[in-house]
Formats: sequence, C-alpha cells, structure tokens
Amino acid sequence: MLNIKDLEQRHMKYKIKSYIPYFIIIFILGTLSIIAFNIFTTKVKIQKQPIIQKEIIKIKKVAIDTNITKKEPRKIQKKQEKQKVIIKKIILKPSLDFMRRVNTPVDAYSNEKKINKKKMREKEIIQEVIVEPVIPKKEKYIEETQEIKSIKIKRNKNKEDISEVIKRFKKNDNPALSLFIAKKYYQAGNYHKSYNYALITNQINRNIESSWIIFAKSLMKLNKKKMAIDTLKKYINDSNSNRAKILLDEIQSGKFK
Amino acid sequence: MKSSLFKDSRDVFLDIVDTKDYIELDRMSSIYESLLDSITKPLKMILLYGKPGTGKSMFLSKLHLALSQKQTSLLYSTPILDESEFFKSIARDLYKISYNGELNFTQFIKVVKSQNIDEKLVPIILLDEAQLYSTALMENIRLLSDTRKVKFIIALHKTEKEDIIAKEHFQTRIWESIQLENSSKAELKIYIQKKLLKANCFDTANIFTQKSVNLIHKLTDGNYRDTNKLLYTTFEIYLYYAKNEPKKIHKTRVLDKIIEMAAIHTGLIDA
Repeated sequence: MLNIKDLEQRHMKYKIKSYIPYFIIIFILGTLSIIAFNIFTTKVKIQKQPIIQKEIIKIKKVAIDTNITKKEPRKIQKKQEKQKVIIKKIILKPSLDFMRRVNTPVDAYSNEKKINKKKMREKEIIQEVIVEPVIPKKEKYIEETQEIKSIKIKRNKNKEDISEVIKRFKKNDNPALSLFIAKKYYQAGNYHKSYNYALITNQINRNIESSWIIFAKSLMKLNKKKMAIDTLKKYINDSNSNRAKILLDEIQSGKFK
Repeated sequence: MKSSLFKDSRDVFLDIVDTKDYIELDRMSSIYESLLDSITKPLKMILLYGKPGTGKSMFLSKLHLALSQKQTSLLYSTPILDESEFFKSIARDLYKISYNGELNFTQFIKVVKSQNIDEKLVPIILLDEAQLYSTALMENIRLLSDTRKVKFIIALHKTEKEDIIAKEHFQTRIWESIQLENSSKAELKIYIQKKLLKANCFDTANIFTQKSVNLIHKLTDGNYRDTNKLLYTTFEIYLYYAKNEPKKIHKTRVLDKIIEMAAIHTGLIDA
C-alpha cells in the first residue's frame, strides 16, 4: 500500500526544487537589469552635467565679449576675426556679480546707464559681438558658442533685484550694497530713493567717491542744484576727487542732463 | 469513475510477460515480420538485442507462440547456467531423451548430429537473457548451431559487455541481428491506450492526453518496462484517491501531479 501523504510531501519538495533554477535565473536577470538600469541612468547624468557647464560658459563668454565690444569695438574689429552673433531679447538676469559693477568707475557706469536705458526701451536689441580668438582650453565651448546664433538671457525685474539686495543690506549694513541700491534707483529714475541710499552710504563710509557722485546727481534730478553744488564742493575740498570736479563742471556749465 | 476501474487499469500494467498482453505496434510488427522471415532462411543464429525493458522477452514469447504452431520451438526464459544441465534440458525437451548423470558437450553434440531433421523445420531454441551465459557455454552454443540441426535465437541486453559477447562469439556466425528500441511518444500513447482498451478500460484510456504521454515519455524515455511500472503506480494512487479523496482526481485527464508522484515512488524521479 502506498503512503500517499508521504508521496504528496515528497512531490511538493520535488516541485519546489524544480522551480529553484527558474527563481535563480529570474533573480539573476532582475539583478542584472537593475544594475544595467543604474549604470544607464548614471551615464545619462554624467552626460547631462557637461552640457549644463557648457551653457554656463556660453553665457559668461557672451558677457565678456559684450564688455570688449563696448570698450574698443573698432580696434578689436580690425585685429580680431569678426563673427556676428545676433542676440535677440536680451533680458538681463539677476546677476549677483553686481559687486564687479559697483567697483567700475562712474564714467563706465554712466555709459552703462545709457546703454541700459536703451535696453529698457527696446525689447529686442541686435548687437554685434566680437568673439575673442579661440582659447585652446575652451576651444570646444567656443566653437559651440559660435554655432548658436541667438542667445536668450532672461533677467528678473529691477524691483525684485533691488529688494533682494535691500534685504541683504539691512542684515549687514554693507556700504557697497547701499551704493548698489542707490545706483539702481537712480537708473530706474527713483531719485528720492537713490538720494536716500547714497546718503546712507556716505554716513557709513564718507570716502566712497561713487556714492557722493550719485548723491549729487540725485540732488540735481530732484531740482536741488545748489545743494548738489555745495555738496560736491565740500567733497572736492576733502578728497580732491577728479570725478567730483568733472561733475561739478558739468552742473555749473549746464551740461548735466 | 468507479474505483474498480482504476483497479483493472492498474492490473493491466503488471510487469509480467504474457503473450496475451502483447501490443501490436507498427514498428514492432515490422520487426516481427522480418524476424519470421529470417527464421525461414538457412541461418544458424539470430541475435535479438536491446536495452532492458524494450520488449525482448515479450517478443521472444510471441515468437515462440507463433513458431510452436508449425515447428519445434523451445523457449528458455531463464538461463540454465550449468553446462550439463543446459544440454540435458535441450536433450529432454527437444529429443525426449533423459539423462540421469552428467551430459558433456561431446556426448550431446553426437546426439544432435544423429538426428534426422527436415532442413525447413529445423528446431528453434530461444534463449532469453543470454548475456548471463558463460563464454564457454556460448562457444558451445555456437558449435551446436554449426551442425545446422538446431537453430538459436538469442536475446540479450545491449550493454558494453554484451556487445563484446556478440562480437566474439557471433560476429562471424550471425547471420541476423535485430535491435529493439524504446518507443517513440506516438508509439507510447498507442501502447498505453491499446493496453487499456484491451482490458475494456475505456474511460481510463481516454484520460491519457498527448501532454500526459509526453510527460510519461520524458520520465521513462519510452521504455516499456518503466512505463508499466509507472502506470501501475499511477493507477494505484488513483485508486487511493478514488476511495479517500475523490476531489483530487480529474475525470477527463490524468494529472501530472499523480504521474510525478508515481515517478517519485518508482524511482524515476529522484526526490
């Protein structure tokens, strides 16, 4: 007589044993597919990273080129290879490299102001940009930059820009920040505020030439010519600043606009 | 289905050699016909070989039954290993001569040669399991067949050893060698169904689908003896379930699980 219960148990074990190779194969395949997927995704990430870096470099490159164009466009045009890159819709981005601008001289600032005014009026500006000769290390990136005919640069609005800086200024009372704010308000035509921030800057540090210039200019815009002249004279007496002298001459001769 | 049906079906696959249970398969029939044809030829010996369970014994039984109707035929299913006893048995069964003492080969061959026999009705001796005979006895059998007074049909397992025997003793004298092989899937299905139908087990014959037969073939490699053992146990399990757990059996097809359980029990599956 057969022991059926025992046979059933042995059969159960046999079936489990017979399925083990399939489970192992499925497990191995599953593991391999997960590993393959991970490798693939990491490769994709690695491939994406340089692209972002390239884009950053492109933007920086354009910024550098623009400065060169402003300073000596004609000389560079003669010496260097010319390449025209049309930039449509240059909407300036919130650049936190304002510190660099703060340190630029007033003349450059005033030139910049004019350009910025034009930018404000026009939504689309076509600029001629002269690309520097190819630098060996950045060769690839420059080539790619040349291929791009138009670069769109988005920029936040001034208000948002300034408010961010004001917050920072309130935290640390840095005169560089208050001067930046004063300049921004002056550019925006808000001469009361530019006056106030220039005044604050002067109170924090009396030796910042640009701050006195902005202060005097703001007074002029607020139709306080006499006060502007007096302030400049006092500052010239204290500092003998050439820029202050030039501005004073412009005001007194009626050339200041 | 009634449990008695499973009992009858089970008994169909009892591993016994009975010519009544012989199943006619196309390939076996053609081999059988060719063997009958070979016997009529003036051949001294015929070698029938194949793996264990390929139906050699059944084949010899069937042949013996057929031959004995028209000529003298002796079938020794169990080998007689003692030489004297072997000769005495043949002398007694073939020539009706009894010896009380020893009978050696020289004495026996004289007896054989003294017989007047019609060439067309030469007595045939069928020896099953011939691989068990000693080399010396096999050599004597060869010499006996050389007298042309007796013809031998020898069935042996096809193993390496038996191949050597076949080469050494029969290579120059054989005459005819027939190999029996395991069944194919199609043959196995016919074999199972015919066996069951022969015993009027129609319901159980129908539960063997090609899929089930394929599984049986996979387990037994088409070997008839293993198939008999497997199906005997399968119906034993069916019998148990029919009595105790009828829900576990299927009416339209034999379950793989039950076949596998039977295979585990018979040792065809090592579990």
